[in-house]
Amino acid sequence: MNPAVIILKALIFPGLLFTAVLGLVTSWVDRFVTARVQMRVGPPFLQPFYDVAKLMIKETCVPAGGSTWLFLGAPLVGLSGVTLGALVVWSALLFGGRGFSGDVIVALYVLTLPAVGVILGSFASRNPLASLGGSREMKLLLSYELPLALAVLVPVMQSYAAVQSIRLADMATQLPVASVSGVLALVVAILCMQAKLTLVPFDAPEAETELTGGAYMEYSGPPLGLFKLTRAMMLVTMPLFLVTVFCGGLDVADGVLPALLGLLKVLGLVVVIVLIRNTAPRVRTDQAVRFFWGPVTLVALVAVGLGMMGL
Amino acid sequence: MMEMLLHPMILPITLPVVAGVVCLLLPRQLHKVRDIIAVGASAVTLLLALRLLVALRGGGLYTFAACPLVNLRLDALSGFVMVAIALFGVLSALYSLGYMAGRERLNEYYAYLLWTVGISCGAVLANHFLLLLIFWGMLGVTLYLMIGMGGSKASAAAKKTFIVIGGSDCLLMLGIAIAWHVTGRMLMDEVTLTMTRKLNVLAFLCFTVAALAKAGAMPFHSWVPDCGEKAPLSVSAFLPASLDKLLGIYLLARTMHGLFVASYALRVLLMLVGAATVMCAVMMALVQHDLRRLLAYHAVSQVGYMVLGIASGTAIGMAGGLFHMLNHAMYKSSLFMCAGSVERQAGTCDLDRLGGLGRAMPITFVSCLVAAMAISGVPPLNGFASKWMVYQGIIEAGNQSGPWVIWIVAAMFGSALTLASFVKILHAVFLRKPPAEAERRNVSEVGFSMWFPTAFLGLMCLVFGVFWKRLPYTFLVEPAVVGEVTIPGLWWGAPAALVLLAGIAAGLVIYALTTARKPRVCATYIGGELMEAADIPGEARSDSRDVEVSGVDFYRTIETMAPFRGFYAAARQKAFDIYDVGTKILFYFVDILRAAHTGLLPTYLTWLVAGMLFVVWWLVRAGGG
Repeated sequence: MNPAVIILKALIFPGLLFTAVLGLVTSWVDRFVTARVQMRVGPPFLQPFYDVAKLMIKETCVPAGGSTWLFLGAPLVGLSGVTLGALVVWSALLFGGRGFSGDVIVALYVLTLPAVGVILGSFASRNPLASLGGSREMKLLLSYELPLALAVLVPVMQSYAAVQSIRLADMATQLPVASVSGVLALVVAILCMQAKLTLVPFDAPEAETELTGGAYMEYSGPPLGLFKLTRAMMLVTMPLFLVTVFCGGLDVADGVLPALLGLLKVLGLVVVIVLIRNTAPRVRTDQAVRFFWGPVTLVALVAVGLGMMGL
Repeated sequence: MMEMLLHPMILPITLPVVAGVVCLLLPRQLHKVRDIIAVGASAVTLLLALRLLVALRGGGLYTFAACPLVNLRLDALSGFVMVAIALFGVLSALYSLGYMAGRERLNEYYAYLLWTVGISCGAVLANHFLLLLIFWGMLGVTLYLMIGMGGSKASAAAKKTFIVIGGSDCLLMLGIAIAWHVTGRMLMDEVTLTMTRKLNVLAFLCFTVAALAKAGAMPFHSWVPDCGEKAPLSVSAFLPASLDKLLGIYLLARTMHGLFVASYALRVLLMLVGAATVMCAVMMALVQHDLRRLLAYHAVSQVGYMVLGIASGTAIGMAGGLFHMLNHAMYKSSLFMCAGSVERQAGTCDLDRLGGLGRAMPITFVSCLVAAMAISGVPPLNGFASKWMVYQGIIEAGNQSGPWVIWIVAAMFGSALTLASFVKILHAVFLRKPPAEAERRNVSEVGFSMWFPTAFLGLMCLVFGVFWKRLPYTFLVEPAVVGEVTIPGLWWGAPAALVLLAGIAAGLVIYALTTARKPRVCATYIGGELMEAADIPGEARSDSRDVEVSGVDFYRTIETMAPFRGFYAAARQKAFDIYDVGTKILFYFVDILRAAHTGLLPTYLTWLVAGMLFVVWWLVRAGGG
């Protein structure tokens, strides 16, 4: 493949720029729905764009005694990771036939990079509260990664049984959510997504009221802006990934209307997680770990078992 | 005779061994000469090994037979492993120049190191079972001697290693005897056993146990953590981290693909061993307080991936397992070397007493960061490339390898746990605010001979990850795999790295255009508390050390959680240590026998008389018959 094409895809469409715009729009949806739940009017449509733009012109502070290059580099790890993850998922959806066998595993791995970036950045802050936030992020990652891997294996199994392929592009032609095992796995995956996006009730890494921002505590200006941008991009990439794997993808090839319908599926998932985050209180880290390694993993195992029986 | 000794296939064995003898005999005043010989001889061995590999690719010579016993055979697998052995020999020798400087008995140390390189080359070249056994046994001895270089505190670990490895050597001997009994042949390339007879299964198990004990897989792992904790770190980087993995996995690959045709049940058993090794060892690593022990548990855990790959029975799985073996040797050596540098400069490996070394030792820090990300399987580093191939192998094998979902989930979840324990290291050693006593130490970066091998291996982790297809896979791994490797899909290492690079570049451009170009340094904010003594006008000086977070207890939550509490308690009781359990069983029986040894003469006389009466009765009975 031509390197120039790859870079263009990565930076503009469907990578960084496209996903960032879509992500900021999604974060407006998040704020709008949240406002309506709380009986408020909600921000204007462009508010998330203003927020990131404003952070870009603010001063950058780095903590004394910390590792400055890692402190500034950590947001880039997250940003580039989510760019690659989004590109892998979009490529499968938009350019049919692209992708390679097992790219679903790659997507799973790459989408942990934003969390790695947050952890490294928090540790580079040399701040005890940020360290605590980083360690909570790590424990959260540990807790949801087990059920998430199990849940994603259900559509992998079904796709392998049906079309002998574990390419995302081929998985998007299947509809696992039409089966019992698929529904259970999707529920598990939505809960894991909630934690992966560190949204309430799994926002212990930031925990404004006790850690005053935790992992992001020392960040300001452009580096913080990049973290916010990464989060916004994750907010659309994760639902998109789940739609691809569980709900039959976007059907871009079938015309504009089915594609818009596909985007509605993504929007639906976003609204679900926004509603969860507005109706649940924050759980402690140990509660989150118990929750994910206990009942959630159990449900995921049941889903895998049912999937093996072809249900 | 001379001609025979200079044969290109003999030279990689004899040259390091002879150079080692020279090192041993040199007077101590000539330590510079000894250092040059140690590095030089291992470097020449590397060149010799590379030349053999190139000749093999060109279709050159590949067997050597001087007498029935001395029968050597070079194929792509042994060539690949031999090059890796020689490479780690050079890097370890170079690293040792700095790390071991000022210690006692250095002549012996370098002699053992060179002997290990030579004997290892012999072990992978040997085609005669007895020759393999001889080299294998000698490796156990050099391993014992090298661990013993750690002084009196290492002697228990050395003894334990010797007994575990020696025991597995005995099983290898038994396996060879059975193979010979069944086939009547002693040359490895002439033997292929199928699982049709119970005896063959026994032989297979013997070979497998020998390979797994050498590689340090569970349940034969317990020598690795002890060795990692007590032996000099240059030895840990050289033997349990790289060479023993190369040799153990080499034997496993030979056993699985060549000497035996493993049945479904045996492969599932091996997969189970692999998955359990990944999970249990990494759970142990998670809660360690000592840098050495933590790394050693990972040296156990990573074997699981190699076993999973090779036992999957698919060509791509085997390729993944072999590739992971090479990758593991690279990042784990680098990590042990980082630990060695930290220990030498800061004087301790105790995570509680380290901190803030990221600024003082930037090269070590970056190497450790890269290697830590590589071992956790973060794309686009080499650990991901090989793990991904292992996954492909397991999925391709599907129901042929048993409950494959479990293997995959164990492997993927193992990655997350690995990341967790390395995040802890990065925090506790390099990033956090150092404790008061550590701040007083004046730590600086290590010298060239120490940082170069560390950083070189870190760089290789990146290069082998991005260009995995073009470099290591095509030249080393693929030819070594038995059977045609059909890769259902390629992990696009280089394009993915390009995308990541583009993302990073975009971020850097944003930084360059904004205030991040000239950041302001501020004091950290911790809710109004002061972290360290600072002079702020209008406020009293304070020294509130209590807000420190060491990172050692990050996973206390998990350690004290219900099912894991029991696991860790049992591990502390050494319930999973085959050596300890074996010793306990042994002493149980010894104690029964000991009860008879009361030291009382009448008791002994009673026994004597009773025995004599028994003999008489027996003779009479036999005569009567």
